[in-house]
Amino acid sequence: MLKRDIWLYLHFPLLPLEALLPQLPTEQAQKPIAIINLQKNIQRVLCCNTQAAAWGIEPDLSISTALALCPELELLSRQIEQEQQLLQQLALVAYSFSPVVILTDSGSLNHSSVPSNHSSGLWLEISGCYKLFKGYDALLRELDYRLRSQSITAVNGIGQNPLAAKLLCGPDFETQLPDQTEIQRRLLNADLSLLEINRKQQQSFKQLGLNTVGDLLALPRSALSRRFNAELMLTIAQLNNEKPFNAPRFQPANSFRDLIQNPQGIFNKESLLFPMKTLLQHLCQYLMARQCHCREIEWHFEPLIGESQKMQIQLSGSQNNWSTLLMLSRLQLERLELPRSIEQIILYADQFIEAPMGVFNLDLFDNQKTAQQSCELIDSLNARLGIDALSQPILNQDYLPEQASTLATPGKHSNTSLNKKLKAPQPLWLLTDPAPVHLRNKKLYWRQPLTIISGPERLCGNWWQAEQQRDYYLACDSNGARYWLFRETSSQRWFVHGLFS
Amino acid sequence: MPNNIATVLSRQDTWRGRSQRLPRRTITTGHNNLDLLLQGGWPISVLTELMPQQSGIGELSLLLPTIKYYADNNQLCVWLDPPYQPYAPRLAAADIALDKLLVVRSKNHAEWLWAAEQSIRSGALLLAWTKQPPPRYADLRKLQLAAADNGNAAFLFSAPSAMSAPSPAALRLELQSLEINQLLLNVRKQRGVAGGAQLQLSLGEANTQRTNLALLPADRHRTYPVRQFNN
Repeated sequence: MLKRDIWLYLHFPLLPLEALLPQLPTEQAQKPIAIINLQKNIQRVLCCNTQAAAWGIEPDLSISTALALCPELELLSRQIEQEQQLLQQLALVAYSFSPVVILTDSGSLNHSSVPSNHSSGLWLEISGCYKLFKGYDALLRELDYRLRSQSITAVNGIGQNPLAAKLLCGPDFETQLPDQTEIQRRLLNADLSLLEINRKQQQSFKQLGLNTVGDLLALPRSALSRRFNAELMLTIAQLNNEKPFNAPRFQPANSFRDLIQNPQGIFNKESLLFPMKTLLQHLCQYLMARQCHCREIEWHFEPLIGESQKMQIQLSGSQNNWSTLLMLSRLQLERLELPRSIEQIILYADQFIEAPMGVFNLDLFDNQKTAQQSCELIDSLNARLGIDALSQPILNQDYLPEQASTLATPGKHSNTSLNKKLKAPQPLWLLTDPAPVHLRNKKLYWRQPLTIISGPERLCGNWWQAEQQRDYYLACDSNGARYWLFRETSSQRWFVHGLFS
Repeated sequence: MPNNIATVLSRQDTWRGRSQRLPRRTITTGHNNLDLLLQGGWPISVLTELMPQQSGIGELSLLLPTIKYYADNNQLCVWLDPPYQPYAPRLAAADIALDKLLVVRSKNHAEWLWAAEQSIRSGALLLAWTKQPPPRYADLRKLQLAAADNGNAAFLFSAPSAMSAPSPAALRLELQSLEINQLLLNVRKQRGVAGGAQLQLSLGEANTQRTNLALLPADRHRTYPVRQFNN
């Protein structure tokens, strides 16, 4: 038997409200709030919170009626952009449940998507996720839990195709998957007025005495096509699983950008941490969905007036763990001068690498763990002390000691290996600037009198520069400490260049 | 903080009535005589303080085998505020992976202490050079505790003037140079042993010999893998 698709439609009835709630101060969020929207040149209530509903506020009331019912009602206008952002983020949550996620707005249905209709929702195809979640009911429960923990109100509908799922969207979140015959029975009993068609066609359904979807589907197709337009015929075909539902699937974006606004302003660093944590958790959801790790994240702290402050966090290893990222951000934040009040926090990330295989396993090998520990150490030193504080010695193919051994920022390591055999002993310490040696009574003197033990070894750097010709000697002082001296052939002056240690 | 009995017992500094000798975990220093003197090698999970009489007498060569051991084990080696720049060709000649070395410069004492503690706690080998003014006893105690918690060797290079000051380090060695490549080690403090032992050690490229592990007391290396150093 052919595997039946199971489509889940998630509808977020309070999305306009929930997109705005995080920015409100807590005392304001407790008050009755209604989101208003311009519908046919009249401002009407789009949705409201439970406090407002207790006063009798309901969608589609005009403002004057709403205010008459509840004088202390807070009216907020709808922010489409923030709603879309929240929807994208919810799609990311859904994407961690099923690879097939379709946003309603991108669907062919509401191309004339006027802001007034509040069909903010998304579809998931879950027939392939049985094994992963050990049953569909467990999947639904998990999804319900995830949405609740983000304080999102969602209702769902289940059907054999996207249209049916949307049609059967109920008033609450169903966590039990009904069986196929039950789904079919519900579809046939569904009211035709739920179908998204124009008023004229609804009228003709009534005239024909058609009340449920079952009545409509029972009629012969040829008779229907004579009465109704092609659009309805397509809808019927899709409801009957005869034609596929063509809509672009949701794909996570190529780069990550998320922001949190706080109109009241944030005045100290401690209170920045909570919104930063939320943003990093979003980032990690995104990274999980794309199965990649990030190499760098960038924070922007924007004040109401003036320049925004940027903070970049480089990662030496790859990371997708929000608590580590938060710890690093926090360390770096301590060094940063922030504007007095911050209104908007933005998090960017666009440098990703594919997640190495097996990272989701717990550490199997100790080796991996130490490597990760080293990376974390480099990152945290980097965040607290700054990038200039860290360096690694690197080896270059050069004859002059100061060019053969240089310091570079960690992670940019070239794999030069030593291919020439060292003839003379080499020191462990190098003086970055050779220190001049004085001559006293024809004896060398640097901190102490020095005696030459062996030498010379002539090192010629770039021959076209005369002063690069040096004779290196090994010297020691009365205590037995050994030094690396050189004499410039051009000027006959002596320098200490290293200590043997 | 240790929160159950198992963590407390797994620590090396927990004294348990019946055991005659504390179980010591060490890593070999790469020098036979020094291993014997230190009862197996550099003690790990304690802070070791080295006080060279002046820099340049061979205090760093003494640690090269240990650095190589850590680098070979894929562990980072943090050089905190070294007095000069490490010379890469010499380190490469000792077969030390250069990308395992990390030179850290601190700007003030708070940063120095923080970086030192972080390195110990992250399982890296720490070589730290003290700056003036020397760190306080309480600060060094912090490092000693971090090392005890974490089971890693940590080395502190102090100025000779630190000799008179008390130190929480479990092992304190004074280093003097007798002549070229001849180092005199003076044990100023050693946990479980009366101090005052002296050892003359030959360093240097020409007269380094292989460590003969058969000469070491057998039970010293029981709990920690031992590698041979062919330096």
